[in-house]
Amino acid sequence: MRSHRWSMRRVAAAVSVLALTIAGCADREGDSRSASAADSGFPLTVTTPDGGKLTLESKPERIVSLSPTATEMLYAVGAGDQVVAVDDQSNYPKDAPRTKLSGLTPSPDKISDYAPDLVVVDNDVDNLSATLDKIGTKTLILPAAKTLDDAYAQFELVGKVTGHPDEGKDLADRTKREIEKIVADAPKPADPLTYYHELDQTYYTVTSETFIGQVYALFGLRNIADGDDPSAHGGYPQLSAEKIIEADPDLIFLADTICCGQSPETVRKRPGWDTLTAVRNGHVIALDDDIASRWGPRIVDLVRTIADAVEKVEGAG
Amino acid sequence: MTTRPVTRLRARTLAGGIAVLLATMLMAVLIGAAELGWQRVLAEIWAQLVGGTSPLSEREAAILWQLRVPRVLLAGAVGAALAMSGAAFQGVFRNPLADPFLLGAAAGAGMAATIVVVFAPALTLWAASALPVAAFAGAVGGVALSWLLSTSYGGVSPTTLLLAGVAVSAFLTAVQTFVQQLNADTIRQVYNWMLGGLAITGWADFVSVIPYIGAAAVVLMVCARLLDVLSLGDAEAASLGVNPGRLRLLLISAASLATAAAVSVSGLIGFVGIIVPHFIRLTVGASYRVIVPLSVLGGASFLIVADQIARTAMPGELPIGVVTAFAGAPFFIIVLRRNAEKLW
Amino acid sequence: MVSPVVELRNVRAGYRDRLVLDGVSLTVSAGEWMAVIGPNGAGKSTLVKAMLGLTRLGGEVLIRGRDRRTLPARESARIIGYAPQQPAIPGGLTVTDYVLLGRTPHLGLLARERSADQRVVADVLRRLDLDKLAARRLGTLSGGERQRAVLARALAQQADVLLLDEPTTGLDLGHAQALLDLVDRLRREDGTTVVSTLHDLTLAGQYADRVLLLDGGETVAAGPPEEVLTPELLARHYDADVEVVTVAGRQVVIPVRTNGR
Repeated sequence: MRSHRWSMRRVAAAVSVLALTIAGCADREGDSRSASAADSGFPLTVTTPDGGKLTLESKPERIVSLSPTATEMLYAVGAGDQVVAVDDQSNYPKDAPRTKLSGLTPSPDKISDYAPDLVVVDNDVDNLSATLDKIGTKTLILPAAKTLDDAYAQFELVGKVTGHPDEGKDLADRTKREIEKIVADAPKPADPLTYYHELDQTYYTVTSETFIGQVYALFGLRNIADGDDPSAHGGYPQLSAEKIIEADPDLIFLADTICCGQSPETVRKRPGWDTLTAVRNGHVIALDDDIASRWGPRIVDLVRTIADAVEKVEGAG
Repeated sequence: MTTRPVTRLRARTLAGGIAVLLATMLMAVLIGAAELGWQRVLAEIWAQLVGGTSPLSEREAAILWQLRVPRVLLAGAVGAALAMSGAAFQGVFRNPLADPFLLGAAAGAGMAATIVVVFAPALTLWAASALPVAAFAGAVGGVALSWLLSTSYGGVSPTTLLLAGVAVSAFLTAVQTFVQQLNADTIRQVYNWMLGGLAITGWADFVSVIPYIGAAAVVLMVCARLLDVLSLGDAEAASLGVNPGRLRLLLISAASLATAAAVSVSGLIGFVGIIVPHFIRLTVGASYRVIVPLSVLGGASFLIVADQIARTAMPGELPIGVVTAFAGAPFFIIVLRRNAEKLW
Repeated sequence: MVSPVVELRNVRAGYRDRLVLDGVSLTVSAGEWMAVIGPNGAGKSTLVKAMLGLTRLGGEVLIRGRDRRTLPARESARIIGYAPQQPAIPGGLTVTDYVLLGRTPHLGLLARERSADQRVVADVLRRLDLDKLAARRLGTLSGGERQRAVLARALAQQADVLLLDEPTTGLDLGHAQALLDLVDRLRREDGTTVVSTLHDLTLAGQYADRVLLLDGGETVAAGPPEEVLTPELLARHYDADVEVVTVAGRQVVIPVRTNGR
């Protein structure tokens, strides 16, 4: 009789323990699920663009960005709250915490003042990553993209390392789709249009081998600077005014409106340039220097501007 | 080559120099980056002279008359300015290594250009034309500073001037580097300008510098003889009735004015100021009566050829300073070997 | 009484950090040859520079009775010709070029040398036996030839006064004599006044009309050679043992070794 009750009690205890356990487990699962939703994937190891590996123990909450393009990416994937400081050239978005930190000549001391857990750069100047590693800070190097796919990969990567993997992937896919659509909708003249992309008023330009050259190439535009060898001068040759006028490009894109004060008016005033068809027909397009030199999400704006320009030329007949 | 007793600028030599200059100018105008075809360019020039129909399209004519011709003329003016200033400085300092940038003209221009690029780019349309003006002011300022510094020590002997120039150049260059470091994004712009080049020049630039270079040329050619007197040293020059201090001031002012004008449009082009006067000295004679005028002609021809190479040798533009060094150095070595005993 | 062509009145002269001449007064009459002698550091070269108006600090230097400071440089250059002790030799210039430089005070700023100037130079070259070297570059001449070229340049100035600072430097016995003979002949022909600093006391005695002995920046003695070149004066100021004998009517100064054999 006693054994019976005892075993009953035992069973009851066991069942209640079991029930509690199950309930507890269920809760814990829910906890861990919500915990992993908040810490999704951390600790995390990713492959960086240079082929190396970067491991982050936890989601970075104090990010310092020394790359204006990376700044744009960080905010676009929703990691803006985790950014504590951006460099002096990061002017977009406007509410990013801009500081006097320099991305071109970074100072590890000044950077460490912000106690970052992740520093994002586009160039490992003076072995910055090794210096920061000594004080326990991780560095993510996102070099200039060579192709659009590189750029998309960087969007995803930024999303992952900041704990916004879905947003990162979404941004990449969205950007890709938008660009493809704009390109598809743009007119494709049988005779490809020629263009000249100006980097500064001493006629430095890009060839089709560069990142931006490839963006233009999506529209079938031909670069007057390609010549026989587009990879000459590392993709950034200096043309002479004579050659530009001789080539008479259908489109002129000015990427030196901010740095060097160029505009369609200043271009028209240049000696001999008023004979160019692009100048006469108003096909000189002023670009935003920053958008034209970065490989961030705003590349879509550039693509749109190019498409509009092509339409304008084609529409004019 | 037997030397004549008196080193004088003979009509034959002068005519030869002018002929070389005209030939280089013609060739530079006929052949350029854009392929207009030299026959068509000749036809165009002829048409303009005698009033026929132009064989060139409007764009091609613009290339020729708005870009190429002013650029060739400007290359000549800059080359002449640098070479004759180099000759003047060599005479004033009695030093074969003297060049027009000795007293801080280059350092001053570079610093002024950097300051404009860094602090005044916001004045966008302004910035484009502010750069030459600033470079000019900087060059003149650098030389003035060297002069003031050396006169504060009483007496402007060539040695004190030279040392003051070295000090001022070093200081101004340091300021420039410092400002650049703080604004590293502007380095490329300033560096482009400093490497030297006539890539974005037109008639406006030529018109703006020719008064200075022309005036300086007149002064230096008139004083060429006095440069010979100055080469005897201050005491002997004074005994011949020349005021060495005042003469030095005049010569340095004229030469620096021409140098500043040249630098303001073309950036810093080295090598011309030293080599061309020496070349004349070795091939024609050691008197400044010959060296100064022939440096004007020779410097102009040299830089016209160098600029032509800079704009046609490769698809893009070569920095002209590279061309002057590449082309000039071996040529000069050959001349030096043949005439070494004539050097002072 | 003809006023002296060069006169120094209580001239104090020197350089930034030290005074070399302390109150020197002298007169040089037209046509005479004055030799300036004195031990090292006495101020001979400074005296020459003071006459050229290069270092004067106090006192007056009168040229033809006019204060030097009031004379324009070119005019005083037409009166005083200068051949320095260590001339700058621009090696690339020809002898003719170099001697032509002597004509500078006679040319306007813009003027080239006229045929008159060329004639003067040709004449001078001939007189100094340099005409065969007319086209040679200065850097290729021997020491003696170069000295003659320097003198030629000073002569080309056609100045009334020739200021010669140690003109026999580096010349051997024969060349030194020849040069001084030449200067003497020229001055007799042209009536030029000569002021020369001379190291060699015998030569000073043989060619000069008057000798000026400088010591410690002061004039110690001035007068005809026989009055100045005396063993007492020379022993006192040169601190040297000498004997002075007369040969052909001129003083010859002989250093005598008194200690040792």
